[in-house]
Amino acid sequence: MDIQGFAIQGFVAVVIGIIAFAVLAPVVGCLLAGVDRVLSARMQGRVGPPLLQPYYDVRKLFEKEGVTVNGVQDAYVICALIFAIIAGGIFFSGGNLLMCVFVITLSSLFFIIAAYSSRSPYAELGAARETLQVMSYEPMVLLFSVAFYMATAALLPFGGWGTFDVSAVFALDAPVIVCIWPVFLGLMFILTIKLRKSPFDLSMSHHAHQEIVRGMTTEMSGSTLGLVEILHWCENVLFLGWIGLFFVWGGPVTLIVGVVAALAAYFLEILIDNNFARVKWQFMLKSAWAVALVAGGINLAVLAFL
Amino acid sequence: MAYSGKSPWVIHYDGSSCNGCDIEVLATLCPGFDGERFGVVNTGNPKHADIFLVTGSVNEQNIDVVRQIYDQMVEPKVVVACGICACSGGIFHDCYNVIGGVDQAIPVDVYAPGCAVRPETLIDAIVAGVAVLDEKAEKLKSEKKGRA
Amino acid sequence: MEMLLFLMAFPALIAVLVYVIRNDAARNVLVVAGAAVTAAASIALACMHLGTGLVLFECSSAVADAACTVVSCICVIVIVAFAVRHANALAGVLALVQIVVVLYVEFAFAHDMEVSHGLYVDSLTIMMVLIIGIIGSGICVYALGYMKDFQAHEPEGAKDRRPLFFALMFIFLSAMYVIVFSNNMAWMFTGWEVTTLCSFLLIGYTRTEEAIRNAFRQIVMNLAGGIGFILALLLCATQVGTFSLHEFIEIGIANPALVLLAVVCLAFAGITKAAQMPFQTWLLGAMVAPTPTSALLHSSTMVKAGVFLLVKLAPCFLVSPVPSVMVMLVGSITFLLCSFMAISQTNAKRVLAYSTIANLGLITACAGVGTPEAVWAATFLILFHAIAKSLLFLCVGTAEHHIGSRDIEDMDLLFERMPRLARFMMLGIMGMFIAPFGMLVAKWATLVSFVQMDQVALIIILAFGSAATFMFWAKWMGKLAGIAGDPENVERDVTSSEWASILLMAILLVAACVLLPVISATMVEPYVISVFGMAGQDIAADNLWIGSVCVCVVVIALFCGLGRSKKRTVGVYLSGVSRDDATRAFQNSLSDESLATARNWYMEDVFGEKRMAPVGVVFNSVLMAAAALLALCGVALV
Repeated sequence: MDIQGFAIQGFVAVVIGIIAFAVLAPVVGCLLAGVDRVLSARMQGRVGPPLLQPYYDVRKLFEKEGVTVNGVQDAYVICALIFAIIAGGIFFSGGNLLMCVFVITLSSLFFIIAAYSSRSPYAELGAARETLQVMSYEPMVLLFSVAFYMATAALLPFGGWGTFDVSAVFALDAPVIVCIWPVFLGLMFILTIKLRKSPFDLSMSHHAHQEIVRGMTTEMSGSTLGLVEILHWCENVLFLGWIGLFFVWGGPVTLIVGVVAALAAYFLEILIDNNFARVKWQFMLKSAWAVALVAGGINLAVLAFL
Repeated sequence: MAYSGKSPWVIHYDGSSCNGCDIEVLATLCPGFDGERFGVVNTGNPKHADIFLVTGSVNEQNIDVVRQIYDQMVEPKVVVACGICACSGGIFHDCYNVIGGVDQAIPVDVYAPGCAVRPETLIDAIVAGVAVLDEKAEKLKSEKKGRA
Repeated sequence: MEMLLFLMAFPALIAVLVYVIRNDAARNVLVVAGAAVTAAASIALACMHLGTGLVLFECSSAVADAACTVVSCICVIVIVAFAVRHANALAGVLALVQIVVVLYVEFAFAHDMEVSHGLYVDSLTIMMVLIIGIIGSGICVYALGYMKDFQAHEPEGAKDRRPLFFALMFIFLSAMYVIVFSNNMAWMFTGWEVTTLCSFLLIGYTRTEEAIRNAFRQIVMNLAGGIGFILALLLCATQVGTFSLHEFIEIGIANPALVLLAVVCLAFAGITKAAQMPFQTWLLGAMVAPTPTSALLHSSTMVKAGVFLLVKLAPCFLVSPVPSVMVMLVGSITFLLCSFMAISQTNAKRVLAYSTIANLGLITACAGVGTPEAVWAATFLILFHAIAKSLLFLCVGTAEHHIGSRDIEDMDLLFERMPRLARFMMLGIMGMFIAPFGMLVAKWATLVSFVQMDQVALIIILAFGSAATFMFWAKWMGKLAGIAGDPENVERDVTSSEWASILLMAILLVAACVLLPVISATMVEPYVISVFGMAGQDIAADNLWIGSVCVCVVVIALFCGLGRSKKRTVGVYLSGVSRDDATRAFQNSLSDESLATARNWYMEDVFGEKRMAPVGVVFNSVLMAAAALLALCGVALV
């Protein structure tokens, strides 16, 4: 096939991926959030809400009266959601991993700007902290993409050049985790920041009675908050997809391994969430960067030079 | 179908309470009574809350705060007066600075008496509040349709 | 070829006219017409040579050689005169050293070193011509409105030196054209020196003590770079035997050891001009100049001459480890540390300056890697940086005149006070650091090229530097985005020349991002192929087009989607009784009024200049000294 045809095919695949992700990710993400609530309750010795509680919450939010602090916040949140869905579509259609990483960063930026735009002191502080969180996890995420590339270079049967294309995992002889398990551990570390779980829930906690009210979402109410919830569901699905990516190889059957691994990682995150108190930003920045430097740096060096 | 009743998020404000009722409110949300079984979440932010739990009476100093929190809550919303002071002023009703129950400041939907109010009473009150919430949500919906 | 001569001569002619004719109205006409013709001629030249490989033009004349020497001498005389007047010995000595070498090269060797093909055009030159012609001219037009305001802010009775200002701006453009068109390195050197002198005069334009100090810092550093350049010429004359840039590069590829020292010298010259650490301070100091000067220095001229030379030399770096490692590490360390330092700055122009230096560092690092992929990335970085940075400088300049400050904290609520300008500024900021805008696509290509060369250190530096980049841009954008109440709109009296230029840059930015695949195919790929004989694009076309679609979404959201909400508007939550939402005043526990205020994070103690700058200065100085030493040893061995 000529280059042009190939490009169009790739483009169409991504568009289909985006549509599928837009439909499926909220469903899966909602169930995951429900599982999170139930599991957290059980870990605290409670019964907890029904599994579909996140769904009820969001439906309720859309029933509330439309209220906003300014005319622009909704537009920013919608942009954030759109780009999160595009990022997810790129990833799950087997597209370029780096592109996915960049687009999800764009989504985070819009969410940050949405919070800043309200000019509420709480939201502004939350947004500043979120910016810091992005700065903390971004190096590891970039190194993860690069490590994926190098791992495919090592594991693809035709060898030599690697690829950032997610779909390449099906051609691998072994899952990438065998080459880049330190990077996997590093990614697990920053996943806690990305999922905004304690001890790294600096910018917005899911629980009340914290010093900055609800941080970034303080001024978002009703349907806007509902969109934010859906945004988080989509993000969670995408991030767990990254985790699953480490465990898939050979053929589509191994997807099951990936899903199981992603769910195990999610369970671990819930466990961590329930067992750690929040840390200060200094610790978050230093630890996340140290992890990225050590886990990512050593792993890449080994892949490059050995 | 209205979903408001399935997800009553609460905000708790302590008026001039002796703190007895506040302890009970928080106990209601703690694992022992597990309000989250009914979807109750303590939000700490009026913009996210559906049910306003007020403990203690309203006085000259806090009446503006109670009103402001109520105003900042988004429709549909329900107010629950928690404890006898919030219902009527209780034993503080004739203090020089006390205005009276919460209904002196904002419309109250459910009164939950007690000194201090029991978690069981509170859960009952929230469940009663949920019914009111659903009613208001339905009304809001039909208003929206009427306008459209 | 007539076109090349026209482009080199025409702006100089306009400069003379602007300097001679001191009437305001006449100047307006002259500048706009001059800018328009320059831009049109640049576009015409680009159309004539679109997608071309290297085209050399036969052009050699003793008169031109002599003229170049004379111009170099004039530069030195001016510098020495200023050095004497302001008692700056270092600048004077450096200038004299330089002229001695220049005259030595000229009279001892130059007559043997005939370059038959003095001028050339290739696709990289075409891109530079477009950058200089469109962006540079756009900035000149912007300066009309800006300098009018500037003069109005001057004390009563201050001498109107605007003719000099505009003359220097246009001479700058001429000199840049000389640099990008000259195959004869002696001519290129003359252009190089003229840009140094022009920026010296422009930085010192206000004649305040600070301006003069910073101007001298600039001239000292760039004279040192100029000495590097002229030493390279001397080596060319004695060892390599040619002044032709392209022959030099060919010899460099075939026989790296022979040109080793010359390449190191030229790289040094490029590094000083591109304000890489340890020379970053001259570009920071240049911020005292009026904003159009900063815009010109940062986006389309001066520093771009430095990276242009480095990118030209990329094939030599590919085969020669010593200069390659030097350039790569100097660039990447600069990128990392300057990105960090940008976090700690509250002055918008300093943030822009650090971001420029950081991005130039990235371009430098790409040039040092020297693979086709890296050159592809470097070329796009040059292009997008030029557009986005000029847009940002113009926006900051206009904002400064209307809100009376260039501090980012004072740009609070700009989205309402200057709604259109804030949107353009946000577009510019997004153009600098976020996907899917071109700058990030170029960074992406950079990352891929590093990965393919297994440059682990560079990958890690890029990862951390990009994270810091996100931090300082996002918090600035956040500050702009705030909305509260109804502050007074202060942008109604922004002059039309400023709006026109800002709009031009914004349109260029969006167009360049959306048409990135086309630009790649028509300008950047041809250059890479003509130099390396192979294509260097490593991002699949479908991803580029996805990026284009995303750009459209962002632009539509920014300019059409914002501010259309039909919801009821309410005040913010201030934990108690709000008194006034616009000022975030609330009733405190004593029934008094308190104000909620929030400042951004600058993390001075973590990323402050005091901590970061010495590290980079020492590291890079040692690195360059080591590279020079190795190169000398190499020469001794040969």
